[in-house]
Amino acid sequence: MAGKPMLKPKTKSAVGDFLFVVPALALLLCFTYYPICKLVEISFTDWNLLSDDFTYVGFKNWKWLFAGTGAKYLWNSLKVTFLYSLGELAVTIVGGMLFALLFNRMSRSFGMMRAFVFMPKYVAMSSAAVIFLWMLNTEYGVVNYLLKLIHLTPVDWLNQKSTALLSVLMLTGWRVIGYGMMIYISAMAGISKDYYEAASLDGASSSQQFFRITLPLLSPTTLFLLVTTFLSSMKVFQSVDILTEGGPSRATEVFVYLIYRYAMVDFRMDRAATAAVMFFVILLVITIATMRVSNNNITYDS
Amino acid sequence: MKRLLAILLAASMMFAMTACGGTEAPSSPASGPDAGEPAVDEAAKYAVTEPITITWWHALETQYDGLVAEIVDEFNKSQDLITVEAQYIGSYSEINEALVAAHAAGSGLPAVVVANTDYVASYGANGVYEDLTPYIAATKYDVDDFAVGLLESAKYGDKQVSLPFLHSTQIIYYNKDMAQKAGITVPTVITDFDAFLQDAAKASGGVGTIIPGWDQWYFETLYLNEGVKIITDDNTCDLNSDTAKGVTAKLQQWCKDGVATWAFGKDASANMRQSFYDGKTFSVLHTSSLYNNYVDNCDFEVGMAWYPAGTTGAKDSEVGGCVLGIPAKVDQKTKNAAWVFLQYLCGKDVNMKWAEGTGYTPTRNSVLQTDEGKDFLAKKPEFKAVFDNLDLIKPRIQNAAWAQLATTWKNYMNEMMAEQADINTKSDDMVVEINEILEDSK
Repeated sequence: MAGKPMLKPKTKSAVGDFLFVVPALALLLCFTYYPICKLVEISFTDWNLLSDDFTYVGFKNWKWLFAGTGAKYLWNSLKVTFLYSLGELAVTIVGGMLFALLFNRMSRSFGMMRAFVFMPKYVAMSSAAVIFLWMLNTEYGVVNYLLKLIHLTPVDWLNQKSTALLSVLMLTGWRVIGYGMMIYISAMAGISKDYYEAASLDGASSSQQFFRITLPLLSPTTLFLLVTTFLSSMKVFQSVDILTEGGPSRATEVFVYLIYRYAMVDFRMDRAATAAVMFFVILLVITIATMRVSNNNITYDS
Repeated sequence: MKRLLAILLAASMMFAMTACGGTEAPSSPASGPDAGEPAVDEAAKYAVTEPITITWWHALETQYDGLVAEIVDEFNKSQDLITVEAQYIGSYSEINEALVAAHAAGSGLPAVVVANTDYVASYGANGVYEDLTPYIAATKYDVDDFAVGLLESAKYGDKQVSLPFLHSTQIIYYNKDMAQKAGITVPTVITDFDAFLQDAAKASGGVGTIIPGWDQWYFETLYLNEGVKIITDDNTCDLNSDTAKGVTAKLQQWCKDGVATWAFGKDASANMRQSFYDGKTFSVLHTSSLYNNYVDNCDFEVGMAWYPAGTTGAKDSEVGGCVLGIPAKVDQKTKNAAWVFLQYLCGKDVNMKWAEGTGYTPTRNSVLQTDEGKDFLAKKPEFKAVFDNLDLIKPRIQNAAWAQLATTWKNYMNEMMAEQADINTKSDDMVVEINEILEDSK
């Protein structure tokens, strides 16, 4: 007579399932959660990255970040980061959708044109940034050369507070607009033609069809782009590092660059860790908020 | 037995180091003819006893690949135990990032690494660089031949944490043809600079000079020569003193009048040089190490002039360029090999090769008296401006918080120059911030 099994089949299955995720979980614990915990610990020390010694200083770094001289740089970089993110979102979503409408034709020539628009996404950011650095050069850049040709005043793109962030966004836009376009084109292909035929029979104009059918049915795609683009854009670093190094006068000092500066330029790992923890919390809150929104307000029926 | 072994090892090392002629041999452990028994013991601690391959991180760009390869090959062929692999890492700041990351991780460190003179204090204070003082003592390495200011700039406190390697100083490059045509001479005192800049701007049809704002090293001398200490003896900042504000106001006025440009931003250095090549500026303030670069790119004669003396009469400058050090966290065998290579790189003969092949200044006093030194001046006569003032090249300000201070200062200066922000308010805000940095780093 067989003995009573040690685990119920359901529990056994659950344990089995869990064992499958253990390797991934172990990697996450080592390379994601442990560093986060370590960051929190470092934020309560005075570690300068160079020395092996440090002491615990309580909330000193937190006070400095929120109530000391660090506060103005914190708010400045938050403002810059959000502005940058809004810019990248606008280019990806609005620009991507407009390009999708423009290039949504199934022919060889349109296929080639789509490829040209999409290609910059696969150009290494460092290479693209160096090219833009020269294109936007005040004295010798091609952008100012073209402006001069049409009798416009050359612009000091990268060294003026008013245009530096815009310059970074120009590079970003060039790289991401094709990506937004491709995502929207594939989503548009999934919308049933029946809706448009019915709308045409009812006398709906093209713009009415776009606003009443296309746009609502693209909302899951828009949400996907919104969430992924926003979260990735908040972590922008390389383009800023190459084009402006956070300047002029911190006009392009995005949050990740601020963290980098504290750690690698100022040798203040304690402050960098404090800012990084703060940044992690911000991203976490945004992620939770967007997930909530996506669960409540998106039309998935196409 | 132990002593015998040590002497044998030291002797074998000496043989290895002096096996090939040509360049001077680095002073190998216990190689000094009058090394007594205790010194031999000490020297043995730093002897290389078995073959080893070491890495050297440098910042010499691709145009110097041939020179780097030649010098490293010569070292590798000169002895049998040490093989050096030279690696170009990037700019000084990129090397700093790589070194700091490797130091924190405790792995992936090179045996020898260059560092901008800016970083010596931070590396010394935090034990990133090995203290070379015992190595120098044990191997009786002659450091007295280095120019005093250069040697001091490689120290942290009493510790010789690095050795002078490729050095430069601040200098004014000017268009000699333009100067002769317009009858302009670069003034030697700051009080004559207003008139000079007006004339120079007229002559060039652009500006009289360009001041690099991307690195405070280029303008801090103007403050120091006016008596501003930047960091006072009581560890506070005096960049908001009346004297300091006076210097800032003068710089701001030049920018406002359009006779000088404040260069800042990522491509500022390239832009500044290009403006000079194109004759759009009469002069630029830059590093003496770029002399070859300027000469090669200009179709006019390039002149070099020393920075003007301040109203105090002081006309000092500060040392720039880089030092060589050994990361403290590498193992002793690697350190020993690194020390041998480091002596070679900083040796008199090799130093002359660096000076000739780049725009850097010879670091050794004896070089100036030699035929090589005279040949050097014959080839680069404009360097007389530097040679005549070698004793005035002072070490950098040493403070572990210097990097933070410099970033803050540069950013505020950019606001005051490029945006013509109010000097009183900005200087005071800046000093509050810098004092907090200094207080925090005690």
